[in-house]
Amino acid sequence: MELKITSSREDGVAVLAADGRLVFGPEAALLRDEAKAALAESAKVVLDLRKVGYIDSGGLGTLVGLQTSAKSANAELKLANLSTRVIGLLQVTKLYTVFDVYESVETAVASFK
Amino acid sequence: MAATTFTIRSSSGETRLPSLLVIEGDARRTVQVVRLPFEVGRKADKDLVFADPRVSRDHATFVVEENEYFLVDQKSRHGTYVNGNKISRQKLQRDDKIEFGVRDNMHVIFDPRPASGSSASLLLSQIASFKGNSSNDSTDLAKLTLFLDAARRLNSSGVLDEIIHTLIEATLRLTGAERGFVFLKQADGTLRIAAGMNAKSEEISDDATISQSILQDAMRANAAFMLTDTSQSGDMAMRQSVVAFDLRTVICIPLRGSSGSEVIGALYMDARYRARDFSTVSRDILQTIATEAAGLLEKARLVEAEEASRRAEQELSIAASIQQGLLTVNVPDVPFATLKARNFACKQVGGDFYDVVATPQSLGFVLADVSGKGVSAALLASTLQGMFFSHLKTGVPLCETLSTINSFLCAKSLSAKYATAVLVDLRADGEMEFVNCGHVAPVMVMNGKVLRPSEGCMPVGLIPTAEYTSMKLQLQPGDRMIIVTDGVTEAENVAGDFFDNLRLEEVVERGGSLEDILAAVDAFRGDHALTDDCTIIEVVYTGAGA
Repeated sequence: MELKITSSREDGVAVLAADGRLVFGPEAALLRDEAKAALAESAKVVLDLRKVGYIDSGGLGTLVGLQTSAKSANAELKLANLSTRVIGLLQVTKLYTVFDVYESVETAVASFK
Repeated sequence: MAATTFTIRSSSGETRLPSLLVIEGDARRTVQVVRLPFEVGRKADKDLVFADPRVSRDHATFVVEENEYFLVDQKSRHGTYVNGNKISRQKLQRDDKIEFGVRDNMHVIFDPRPASGSSASLLLSQIASFKGNSSNDSTDLAKLTLFLDAARRLNSSGVLDEIIHTLIEATLRLTGAERGFVFLKQADGTLRIAAGMNAKSEEISDDATISQSILQDAMRANAAFMLTDTSQSGDMAMRQSVVAFDLRTVICIPLRGSSGSEVIGALYMDARYRARDFSTVSRDILQTIATEAAGLLEKARLVEAEEASRRAEQELSIAASIQQGLLTVNVPDVPFATLKARNFACKQVGGDFYDVVATPQSLGFVLADVSGKGVSAALLASTLQGMFFSHLKTGVPLCETLSTINSFLCAKSLSAKYATAVLVDLRADGEMEFVNCGHVAPVMVMNGKVLRPSEGCMPVGLIPTAEYTSMKLQLQPGDRMIIVTDGVTEAENVAGDFFDNLRLEEVVERGGSLEDILAAVDAFRGDHALTDDCTIIEVVYTGAGA
């Protein structure tokens, strides 16, 4: 397993900090399960990707899937701290607009107010 | 076992294609030879690729001549060995052990014979010489030990039943008990009868007269075996069987797994003699059975599990050859352009595909990369390939094709399975229309300059509302387009760096062809194995007037 997820709460917002590679397989499954649990609990979730250097196609699919299920459950998922490489991936795939992207966890959390 | 046989036809008749059992450390996989010659080496485009640096880039080749297989060493640095002997060219027999440069933790078995129950039958015939507990008990014990030793070396399929029967038969003979049963613990924790037999080796499937309470007590007890004198037992079912069979003793041996703690089943016997008449040697026999039999059953279960996984691997190997067939694209000849493509999957089956269709006015082609890896990606790839092919063939506009495929995928709730793709239509007059769906930007070389058109749309299968728009370029003779999948740009070297877009552009800028890109990726990654499928398409517009 090349991914660790730590969860915390800030001002009623669930913050999931991912650390490692978000790739197809157990890593993507872990993120999906953790984020789904957080979305079910709080409806306001920030995913901190500061320590995620690499996302492959499977990881990207998982992120889009989470975004879709958040929307359909009237919950909100925001992404924070994207690395240059991850931003590049979202640009290549034209998926930048699908996500709510923030520079930092603080601004992402603040945006819920 | 339903095994698929692969054959190849040549002037000398039909030859069955062999399979290769590749053993690397603890990992085993079966590789089906699907074409000949079959090349082995460290280069990514070999039929069988090893990442170990001791394997040469072009290491050895399997060839067939006059229906015989030969292994030919390709002047490898660390040599090719067959059954321990260094060879330059060697005729191969089934089960030959082959080593490619690496001699410590990796070898290949050539065309292994399918496992069969024959060795189990052999064992059965060996123990047929058992004489029961007659004259010499210590000889019997020695024989039992011999049997258990031999059985432990068994490496055969469908062996669990035979082991159980043999175990009951042997212990009945050795202990003089009347009936014997083996119970195995099921996933839900209950004991289920696996086999039963009487002293005449007749099967008994009815376990109604067995004392369940004695069985349960024995399972809970910490003893190696339990002898119960039924005349002392208050169990009514047991009393009934005592009357029916005149049995006095029940012997119950819990079978413990190799860890020693977990009980995986029980061996249950009943006998006419009294418990106290049991001789010391017979107790030794019970002790031996108790310690050895469980390990034996566990081993048999492992062998069966291994056989099942071998079959699964064979299925996978068949899937891989089917996919290989789908990926064998006949590139049509058109007078105004040339197209070359290369694909290699890092796993047995992959998620990259391409296809090319020529219509009277144009050359249409697609390169796609399905998210994820393995069989699920390959299945989706095959479906998509069919959809792209039929749409290209019937001349449906590119954007319409992609919208259809996108809504098809999105409607199928495939849990975030999608594909990135570049779909291109190159007309005879040089007008190129293409749509990039979330894919690595194509590399265009126009008038000698390298361009990366970054315009594009979303991948297909992710967002139901995605819209697809195309881009048009006017090509001049000599202009070319190179499309790669991210397996190329994300090929890693030992330091963990990616090959990346810049290196790709550098190769293309100095006029590098598809082969040059492959060579550059190979040189860059060195001994670091590819982690994703790699596909490259290069199309050169040669001009309408040609």
